[in-house]
Amino acid sequence: MGFLTILKKLRQKEKEMRILMLGLDNAGKTTILKRFNGEPIDTISPTLGFNIKTLEHRGYKLNIWDVGGQKSLRSYWKNYFESTDGVVWVVDSADARRLWDCARELHSLLREERLAGATLLVLANKSDLPGALTSQEIREALDLDSIKTHHWRIVRCSAVTGENLLEGMDWMLDDIASRIFTLD
Amino acid sequence: MSDRNSVLERLSRRDAQRLEKLQKAHKAREEVDASNENEDFFSGSFKIKSEYVEDLLMQVPTLELHTLPSHFDNIKREINELQKYVVTSSFFLKEFNMRKYLGMVQNLQSKCYELEERYVPRKKFGFSKKKIPKSHTQKQGSLDDHDGAGKNDSNKWDEKLFGFDSQENKVLLLENDELYQRDVALRNLKNCTIGLKGVMGTLHLTNLENCIVLSGPVTSSVFMEKCTNCKVVAACQQLRMHTSTNCDIYLHVTSKGIVEDCSEICTAPYNLYYDDLEKHFNMSALDRGSNNWDNLDDFNWLAPDIPSPNWSILDDSQRIASWDEYWSKTPS
Ligand SMILES: Nc1nc2c(ncn2[C@@H]2O[C@H](COP(=O)(O)OP(=O)(O)O)[C@@H](O)[C@H]2O)c(=O)[nH]1
Ligand SMILES: [Mg+2]
Repeated sequence: MGFLTILKKLRQKEKEMRILMLGLDNAGKTTILKRFNGEPIDTISPTLGFNIKTLEHRGYKLNIWDVGGQKSLRSYWKNYFESTDGVVWVVDSADARRLWDCARELHSLLREERLAGATLLVLANKSDLPGALTSQEIREALDLDSIKTHHWRIVRCSAVTGENLLEGMDWMLDDIASRIFTLD
Repeated sequence: MSDRNSVLERLSRRDAQRLEKLQKAHKAREEVDASNENEDFFSGSFKIKSEYVEDLLMQVPTLELHTLPSHFDNIKREINELQKYVVTSSFFLKEFNMRKYLGMVQNLQSKCYELEERYVPRKKFGFSKKKIPKSHTQKQGSLDDHDGAGKNDSNKWDEKLFGFDSQENKVLLLENDELYQRDVALRNLKNCTIGLKGVMGTLHLTNLENCIVLSGPVTSSVFMEKCTNCKVVAACQQLRMHTSTNCDIYLHVTSKGIVEDCSEICTAPYNLYYDDLEKHFNMSALDRGSNNWDNLDDFNWLAPDIPSPNWSILDDSQRIASWDEYWSKTPS
């Protein structure tokens, strides 16, 4: 990266957003991130540690953190919470078996003080699979309507077909932008 | 908790943080304008800092026992700082380099733990516990000890489950269309043989004991949890194994397999055969030509140069060469 590019990147820092991708392992976080970034998705390995992607979208600079789900690292999640603008909570819609765990993890996450004010986008991923639950079912299972502390929305999508991914992200960016960039 | 005032207070704190960050960013920009900070600069100071940690590590064998705990504390602090330095430089490090530097930090970390294990008597100072590969007696992971909400296995989504649950001494079979791209779950099975001749989306194996699983191609992942004494023959894009012990996996995995909190896992190449297998492979779009069966990542074992003690390659002489006669009988 040349010096000018670095400068340019720094100049755009004001329009930077920090986004965390979280959710149970195997939900499709890494796949979504790669798809969003236009990378191939069929060689993705389970995430060891974390992936960080910086990408430009609609004039915003998105700093996206995809944190691996391994238990030995869960206690470190907290370290990534500071100054988070948006949380993308990814759900495997075909995995009814773990919805209960998923709900519990989500609600305990939302109690985190350091995430106060962050916008929450719930992606009901893998909608392409037969047997995938509807977003209404997931909304109920995760008890989303009880969330009063965060702006949230649920979007049914597929990282494989790309369906609705952009729509979801765009809603989140708009929500974050209306909150933070009008303050200056 | 969701008291309105405290939310507002947190929000305004968050805004204050943001302003502060913006100011910092402005300041950083000025500094960069002045000092031409770039990746060379970063790599230079990274080098200095990591060499400092190396030095501290080298001192370990020469130090007196009673000074070691604080010496290790110090090293860990330095390593943490170094990691932070890399992470906070993410906006100008390319992803590739970022990984490289984080890898180097991880190296230092594992060296530190190894030395600590070797030089600090464990009964007194238990920091290194995390690094010791755990064996069969597992305590429940963080998922279960949150808010004492109690375990609730029988949730109302259970009726959506597709597969087999709570059986003993059975031969079970699912075939073709009924499996196609489904999320298939096998759980709480004992002494069973399960044949899955078809293309699945995801395959969950939970709490299986002394079972044989013979599976066609799985488009995304095979997800194993709490399995003991099993033989699993499976093809997939990802294998994710948790809290399992003493299992043989005959594996075709096109990206990567991982183990976490596992022990005595052996792997061998996928060698299943049934009539429609070839067709099923084509339908699954799994690449037959790429198989990483012999290269698992162990989430509990991050030292790159030392192989994980929790899994190994199944010796040729121990491998089952043909599964033909296994489809129709329960495990011995
Ligand atoms: N059918 C389908 N599979 C998906 C989708 N998203 C992810 N997967 C698969 O799910 C598995 C886990 O994905 P990964 O991104 O590694 O999950 P992570 O642990 O949340 O990062 C992989 O085998 C992916 O190919 C999706 O939208 N549809
Ligand atoms: Mg991942």
